[in-house]
Amino acid sequence: MTQSAGKSRKVASREEWLEARKDLLVKEKQLTRQSDALAIERRHLPWVKVDKQYVFDTPKGKKTLSDLFDGRSQLIVYHFMFGPEWKEGCHGCSMISDHIGGSTQHLANRDVTLLAVSRAPLSKIDEFKKRMDWRFRWVSSFGSDFNRDYHVSFSEEDLAKGDVEYNFTKQTSWRRDEAPGASVFYKNEKGEVFHTYSTYGRGNEQFMGVYRYLDLVPKGRDEDGLPNPSAWVKHHDRYEQDYYADAKAEQQTKVAGGR
Amino acid sequence: MTQSTMERPKVVSREEWLAARKALLEKEKQLTRQNDALAAERRNLPHVKVEKEYVFDTPKGKKTLADLFEGRSQLILYHFMFGPEWNEGCPSCSILGDHIDGNVQHLANRDVTLLAVSRAPIAKIEEFKKRLGWRFKWASSFGNDFNRDFHVSFTKQEVAQKEMYYNFKRQFFPSEEGPGLSVFYKNENGEVFHTYSTYGRGGESMMGVYSYLDIAPKGRNEEGLPHPMMWVRHHDRYEQDYYADGANEADNTDQVVKAAGAWCCGGAAD
Repeated sequence: MTQSAGKSRKVASREEWLEARKDLLVKEKQLTRQSDALAIERRHLPWVKVDKQYVFDTPKGKKTLSDLFDGRSQLIVYHFMFGPEWKEGCHGCSMISDHIGGSTQHLANRDVTLLAVSRAPLSKIDEFKKRMDWRFRWVSSFGSDFNRDYHVSFSEEDLAKGDVEYNFTKQTSWRRDEAPGASVFYKNEKGEVFHTYSTYGRGNEQFMGVYRYLDLVPKGRDEDGLPNPSAWVKHHDRYEQDYYADAKAEQQTKVAGGR
Repeated sequence: MTQSTMERPKVVSREEWLAARKALLEKEKQLTRQNDALAAERRNLPHVKVEKEYVFDTPKGKKTLADLFEGRSQLILYHFMFGPEWNEGCPSCSILGDHIDGNVQHLANRDVTLLAVSRAPIAKIEEFKKRLGWRFKWASSFGNDFNRDFHVSFTKQEVAQKEMYYNFKRQFFPSEEGPGLSVFYKNENGEVFHTYSTYGRGGESMMGVYSYLDIAPKGRNEEGLPHPMMWVRHHDRYEQDYYADGANEADNTDQVVKAAGAWCCGGAAD
């Protein structure tokens, strides 16, 4: 994206601004309609029956993929990058997850169960989740094929050979053993489970309000000078400006970031 | 939105699905690029100098619009529908509110201060914010022209006559308060400029809920409802009190749903 940070902006009258803003609004509305149309196309995708049995470690013991629906018919799994040997979950995935808590309750009441899955052992997940003060469900696929089958974990051999299938493409320069994404499943009345959709890469951006907000401000995402676009992202407890600490001192309100 | 293949799902092989999915991916990527291009256009909008002095009530006393930046150069205000006479904030704005806390810290470190503004008196705001367990800052524009000047509050007369100026045109919005987002910039001289405002569906992408529903088989599933967001409740008012780690996991089905008073688009509160 072309950056515009620091570029001097034209100062206009209210009328002039309004004219420019209305022109832009037409395009924004068009994009909203296109997004609606794509959502429909997405729902017209065929489904693939999941025949393999996947078992996950959860705080309540072993659970199958079918169990994870928790009585609902739709399941969205966020593939959170947290490898078995990692000390903590990925920064970018953590930023997405800072948004998950606000969604789970509303989605649950729309017949959607939303949770995260990582390959890290459950004890590591629980510890990190506690540190980040999150409440959403997060299960471990440690030792199962789940991550591999849904193309978000890669073996050392794959990485060494440059033979990684990610985001529906063969990637030759992917270096990490984990990758981010979201997968959607449906369970019918007979209890059969189907894979309906997966998205990867920038497909995850839609779940991060942060980028939506940055796309509205004068400086934009302001990522041009960085080694990689998300180099600025930190775990929310690792920023220099602990903005919430002030708020806590002020109000002594309960932490709600983990909802 | 037209409903899905839910009734007659086509079950196919992995290969067939992959072909369909890849075709869709091209369109999704195109949409992402278009979104990037629009963001660039947005940044090229001219700025309008804010000459009027607005004073807000905050938990730390009176603050001007310039104060609300809190040392940063960019300010985003969410116009949260909560009228002076309402008993609680709007449920749909509260969905957006449920997502604000996850953003604040990241945005603060990108030179953006994000907070909410409503016309309700600060005492009502504080009480409601506590009820919903939110931490983001929320200022009151009670008694000032701010909401009116940025076209998110309407007079009783306008509501009665069913015509007001909202989302850049004259139309009927069935409430004394409307939702929106406004963006401001402060330069080194301390001058404040209004750069952008969005209303109506412009706030939708700040609600992760819709992004998730848009990838689920049933979609938003709002077609049979009197108005699209009819299903929305405050997060402490749903029948299913579902939180992730099971703190309240037992049967909550018997929990009484309290009727939510103030629908965003379905009429004023009370």
